[in-house]
Amino acid sequence: MLAPIWSQHHFLNKKMFFYILRRIPQTVLVIFGVTLVTFIALQIGGDPTYLFVSERASPEEIEETRKMLGFDKPLHIQYLIYLSNLVQLDFGDSLYYRQPALTVILETLPATIELTIFSMLIAIFGSIPFGILAAIYRGKWIDGSLMAIAMLGQSIPSFWLGIMCILYISLNVSWLPISGHVPFLMLIFQGEFIQAFKNLPTTITYLILPSFAVAFYSVSRNARLIRSSMLEVLSQDYVRTARSKGLSEYIVIMKHAMRNAWLPVVTIIGLEFGFVISGVVVVEVIFAWPGLGRTVFDAISNRDIPLVQAAVVVISLFVIVINLITDLVYAKLDPRIKL
Amino acid sequence: MKKLITGVAVVFGLIFPSTFTIAAPPDDTFVVGLPTDTIGLEPAQISSRHTANIMKHIFGQLYSVSETGSIDPNLAESYKISDDGKEYTFTLKEGLTCHDGEALTAEDAAYSFNRVADEDLAFTGNSAGFVYKSIDFKEARADSEREVTIVLGGPNHIALGLIAEVYVHCKDSYEKMSKDEAASNPIGSGPYEFVKWDKGSQIVLKKAANPPIPTNFENVIWRVIPEASTRTAELIAGNVDMITNASPDQVEAIDASSTAKVAKVQGTRRMYVGFHQGPEFAVTPGGAAIQKPEVRRALQYAVNVPAICENLLNAPCTRMTGIVNPNNAHPNLEPYPYDPEIAEYLLDQAGYPRDANGVRFEITLQAGEGRYLNDKNVVLAICQYLDDVGVKTNCEILDWSAVYIPLIKEKKAGPMYFIGSGGATWSPLYDMADLSAPDSGPNYTKWMNEEWFKGWKVINNTNDEYIIRREIDRMLEVFYNEGPWLHLYFQPDFYGVSNRVNWNPRRDEKVDLFNATLK
Repeated sequence: MLAPIWSQHHFLNKKMFFYILRRIPQTVLVIFGVTLVTFIALQIGGDPTYLFVSERASPEEIEETRKMLGFDKPLHIQYLIYLSNLVQLDFGDSLYYRQPALTVILETLPATIELTIFSMLIAIFGSIPFGILAAIYRGKWIDGSLMAIAMLGQSIPSFWLGIMCILYISLNVSWLPISGHVPFLMLIFQGEFIQAFKNLPTTITYLILPSFAVAFYSVSRNARLIRSSMLEVLSQDYVRTARSKGLSEYIVIMKHAMRNAWLPVVTIIGLEFGFVISGVVVVEVIFAWPGLGRTVFDAISNRDIPLVQAAVVVISLFVIVINLITDLVYAKLDPRIKL
Repeated sequence: MKKLITGVAVVFGLIFPSTFTIAAPPDDTFVVGLPTDTIGLEPAQISSRHTANIMKHIFGQLYSVSETGSIDPNLAESYKISDDGKEYTFTLKEGLTCHDGEALTAEDAAYSFNRVADEDLAFTGNSAGFVYKSIDFKEARADSEREVTIVLGGPNHIALGLIAEVYVHCKDSYEKMSKDEAASNPIGSGPYEFVKWDKGSQIVLKKAANPPIPTNFENVIWRVIPEASTRTAELIAGNVDMITNASPDQVEAIDASSTAKVAKVQGTRRMYVGFHQGPEFAVTPGGAAIQKPEVRRALQYAVNVPAICENLLNAPCTRMTGIVNPNNAHPNLEPYPYDPEIAEYLLDQAGYPRDANGVRFEITLQAGEGRYLNDKNVVLAICQYLDDVGVKTNCEILDWSAVYIPLIKEKKAGPMYFIGSGGATWSPLYDMADLSAPDSGPNYTKWMNEEWFKGWKVINNTNDEYIIRREIDRMLEVFYNEGPWLHLYFQPDFYGVSNRVNWNPRRDEKVDLFNATLK
């Protein structure tokens, strides 16, 4: 007899399994909502046909093109056609690239995932020592300095920081490349593992500056969050008890205090993942990073409706999955929370 | 903790020192920095200048337009026109090969032309849209191994230049590919073979085994670098050899570097303010005023175009005398000077004196933002100049793609609007074709001048070069005196060029790397 799926995994218990099942109809509703909002928003911008005809197009050519692109049909029909194709996982063809929209998305997604993961790593592992140090040395010069840097990090726009990095780190001292991208994940997905790992060091050198520009804000915010969370936890009875048992300060901080201080940070990180994956457009433009954000930005400018719709669905799915994982991790970290 | 930090430091230390060195391109490679990626690599589907510039390195044309405006042999070595002017027969050069290794024959050329027109493939863009409709393309046929004939609906004086915009590809390979596959796997006939396209990042080409025209560099890389300041940084660092669309505000930085210089060129794009002549605007006071040629002429004196170029475009310019680019323009027409006193005098004479508030009439000038060089500030300056002579001008700056372009294409922008129209060096008729008929697509002003349009009948009914030129000049005089454009300038183009290469820009926004050399 087969055991239920949750019994095979430590992480996934029965409650969690049913919680995931309950989220599926919500996901469908969210996807429907975002496609509808995107469709309406793009249509408010007017008829996109004009961007697909030559500069000297005649009225006949414009009309023919409109018909060919399907923009001559009533809006509700256009949307229903789109939805019926979507349930068959057909996102349509990109009007500009003349390729399936999903193919274009999947070609640019790995670069954005690379940037997102690297930025998140910087955001997480940069903010933890900052936050803990500031909490431990509360009111001292270390705390003041770190919080001043954090304030700066939350005030500096990422595009300005990116340009300054290019100017001083790349152009003046030539420590890192100015712009560009060397693929890693894409090669992994294509099964070219040897080439991917050969590329990895160079990939990382190209990743450092854009990731830093993306993550600096997050490092600053998370550091402040961890600091305040740690301060609250450090004054709790159980921390005093741990100290009175004679445990080292390292164990008290990292094992006892940190676990509870993590809770608000986990929530923020979950939200941030969605923000980063869809919101790094400016940094992608500055560093010529061939990612999803730039593709969507160009698609919106070019009124490439199928491509925008496909990107929105993919990004939404990502955000939904990340939020789900966040909820599950949250429950795991704090057993008092019921799913 | 100390162990962890040491471990991380060792790993980083091992990885990075060897990779931090940024290498300049090798001597056999030319790297171009572009602001946008190509829109696919389908030779029959081209609707942007950047895409066309990449494609012309992968695909040959039967003839091609040179930087001086001459139309020179490319894949073909000669051509002849039938007596009725409807058939152009091209003789291909000997020994041409496709990038798939097959011999390139007239059958490939005929296939390329017919494929563009294939209704099942439903191509749009420059060839299928503009070129084929302009020449009234009927069919292409292979007459022999090396002779291909293009059949038109009627005689056309600019057919050769337009045929030169169609790219020849290779039948066997394209017949095997679906439309989707063809969009990213170009099998060309030109001097460079396609190697790879990393979307949003770069397109890599290598010299073809048997290039139809001579070329110097073994490899060409087109790097996509959207941000102007990043392109500038890459150029100054020596990582790219040439950048297009260099930002005018970065000219000083580039020129001050020891590694690159800016090459400015007066482009062929004609920037103008259109005076809408349609009845829909004639009911407004300003719209009614600009129906009068005297008022339009007066306003030509009101705008200081050289000052706009100098101060807002960072490039000196000569004001245009009309619709045609300088090398083909009327030889005796002088640009209107900036003279606000004459403007005011002519407006008084036209029946529009200043009222008690100093206003002659009120009018709206519409423009899109972000498409042309410093467009918003140029338009604001024009509005100010017109205000100065008593024409109260409301500047409406609109979103380019969502709002302005639909208005323009539907001929509803106005009563005055600002726009640029692509031009050419190879024929005055190409430039004039904006107004080839009262209902032609780019006649956004709905100008109906009989003297102008009867000129087309004369030109279309003769092959006599003298008569054609005489008629062109007559039409250009009509346009100068009564035309529907406020003449501005030919948009300057800025290219950043590395000191390690010799490369010269063209006026017509086309990029040729064939003659580029290493210094």
